[in-house]
Amino acid sequence: MKTLTNNLRLFWQGALLSYVALFHWMRPIQYMASKILMPLAQMFFFVYLGTFATSADNRTFYIVGNALQIAAVSGIYGMTMSIGGDRDNGTLGYIFGTPANRLVVFMGRAFMNIMDGALGVVIAFTWGVVLMGLDLSNTSIPALALTILITTISTCGLGLLMGCLALITVNVMFVNNFVYFMLLIFSGANIPIAQLPAWIQAISYVLPLTRGIAAARLLVGGAGLLEVTPLLLGELAVGFVYFLVGYILFTVFEVVAKRRGTLDVF
Amino acid sequence: MNLRTLVKYWRTILIVAEMNIRQQLMDGFIVFTVLFQPIIIALLGLFMLKDKGADAAMFVVVGSGLTGLWSSLLFISGGSINFERWTGTLEPLVAVPTPFEVIVFGKNLGNVVQSLVSMVVGYFIAALAFGYKLEIQQPLLFAVSILLAIIAFISFGLVIAPVFVMNPNVRAWQNAMEFPVYILCGFLFPVLLLPAWTNPVSWLLPPYWAAVALHGTSTEGASLNQILFAWGMLLLFSVMDLFIASRLFKLMLYKARADATLGME
Repeated sequence: MKTLTNNLRLFWQGALLSYVALFHWMRPIQYMASKILMPLAQMFFFVYLGTFATSADNRTFYIVGNALQIAAVSGIYGMTMSIGGDRDNGTLGYIFGTPANRLVVFMGRAFMNIMDGALGVVIAFTWGVVLMGLDLSNTSIPALALTILITTISTCGLGLLMGCLALITVNVMFVNNFVYFMLLIFSGANIPIAQLPAWIQAISYVLPLTRGIAAARLLVGGAGLLEVTPLLLGELAVGFVYFLVGYILFTVFEVVAKRRGTLDVF
Repeated sequence: MNLRTLVKYWRTILIVAEMNIRQQLMDGFIVFTVLFQPIIIALLGLFMLKDKGADAAMFVVVGSGLTGLWSSLLFISGGSINFERWTGTLEPLVAVPTPFEVIVFGKNLGNVVQSLVSMVVGYFIAALAFGYKLEIQQPLLFAVSILLAIIAFISFGLVIAPVFVMNPNVRAWQNAMEFPVYILCGFLFPVLLLPAWTNPVSWLLPPYWAAVALHGTSTEGASLNQILFAWGMLLLFSVMDLFIASRLFKLMLYKARADATLGME
C-alpha cells in the first residue's frame, strides 16, 4: 500500500512539475498565445489552402483533420521537451540516480501533456464551430470526446518515443519539427489517405493520428460510436506500441548512459 | 543606415553572410526552418493542388519558398542579435569600428539567401517527383522581383531583430506569428479568399508585396503595372525599414550601454 501511495505521489508530482517546468519561461498571456493563437492560425492556413485546392464544400474535411492534428503540438513538442528537458536542465542525473519507479516517472511526463493536448483539440474544434462554420449538430459529442482523448494518448505515445531520442541527440528540435510537419502529410489531416502513394499510405497506418482523424470525420458526418470503434481501438493500439518502445528505449538508454558515463554528454 | 554605408562595407557584408551560412549549416533547427520545412510545405501543397496543373505547382514552389523566407526572418534573423549574446560575441561586435547594423545586415543576407535554396529544391521536386513541366513565365522580371524581395526581407529583418532584443515579451510570440503571415501575405493561396477587412493588414507587410511580385512574374498572373507597383512597394518598405532600423539600433545600443545590459537577456 505504501509503495502504491509513493508511486501515485511520484506520478502526480512528476506530471505537474514537468509541465510547469516546460512553460516556466512564459507568462500566462504568452502561454495562451502559443496554446490558442498558434493552433488557430495553423488551422486557418490549412483550411484556406485546402478549400483553395479543392472547394469550399470540403471545408469540414480540413477543419476536422487540422483540429485533431493540434494534438501533436503537445504530443510531440510537449512530450519531447518534457523528457529531453531533464537532460538540458541537468536534472537527468538526479532522476536516474533515484530509486523511483521508472514506469511511473515515464507516465508522469505524459499525463499533463495528454490533458493539455486534448484541451488544445477541444479549443481547435471550438474555433472550427465559432469561426469556420463547422457543423456538429449530427455529431455524438461523447464519442468525439473519446476520439479526441484516444488520439491525444496515441500521439503522446509517439512523443514519448521522440523524447527518448531527445536523450541521445543534440538536434532535438530538428527531429521534433520533422516529425510534426511530416504528420501533416502522413496523417491524412490535409490529404485523403487514398490519394497518397502506396508507400506513404503504408507509413500512415503505423502512425498515430491517422485513424483518430478518420474516426472524427466519420463522427462529424453522423456516424455512431460503434462504427468508429475499430478505428479507435487501432489508434489506441498504435499509441500503446509507441509507448512500449519508448519505455524500453528509456530503460536501455539509462543503462547505456550509466555504463558509458555519457548521461549529460551532448 | 543608408546606401552609402552599405556600399562602403559591402565586403564585410558578404563575409558576414558567408560566415553566417557556414555556422548555421551545423544547426539542425535552422536547417529545418530554412530548408526542410518549406520543402515539406511544398510537398503538402503539391499533393493538395495536384489536379490544378503546372501554374498551381509553380505557385506552390514559389509560395513554399516564401514561407521559408518568412520563417527564417522570424526565427533566425529575429534572434540574430540574441544569438551573439548567447555566444558571448556581442560585445566585440558592438565595439568594432564597423557599424553593428551592417553586421546584422550581412547576417540577414545569409539567412535570406540560404532560404532561397528551398525554392530551388521545391522546383526540382515539382518537376521530378510530380512530373510538372515548370516554366517561369517572365524570367527577367522574376529575377528582379527576387532581388527586391531579398532587400525587402533583409530590411524587415533589421527592424525585427532590435525589437525582439528590446522586448523579450514580443519574442515569446514568435511561434504565433509564423502562420498568420503565411495567410495574410497570400504565399500559398490568394488573399482574395480572406475577408476583405484583412486586406489593409496584408498591404502593410513587405512579404505580401514580395508574394505579389514573385507569383505575378512566375505564373504570368499579374500585369506589368501590377508588378511595377509591387516593386515600388518593396522599395518603399525597404527604405522605410532601413530608416526605422537605424533608429532602433541606435536606441538599442544606447540603452544597452546606459543600463550596462549588453550581454544580458
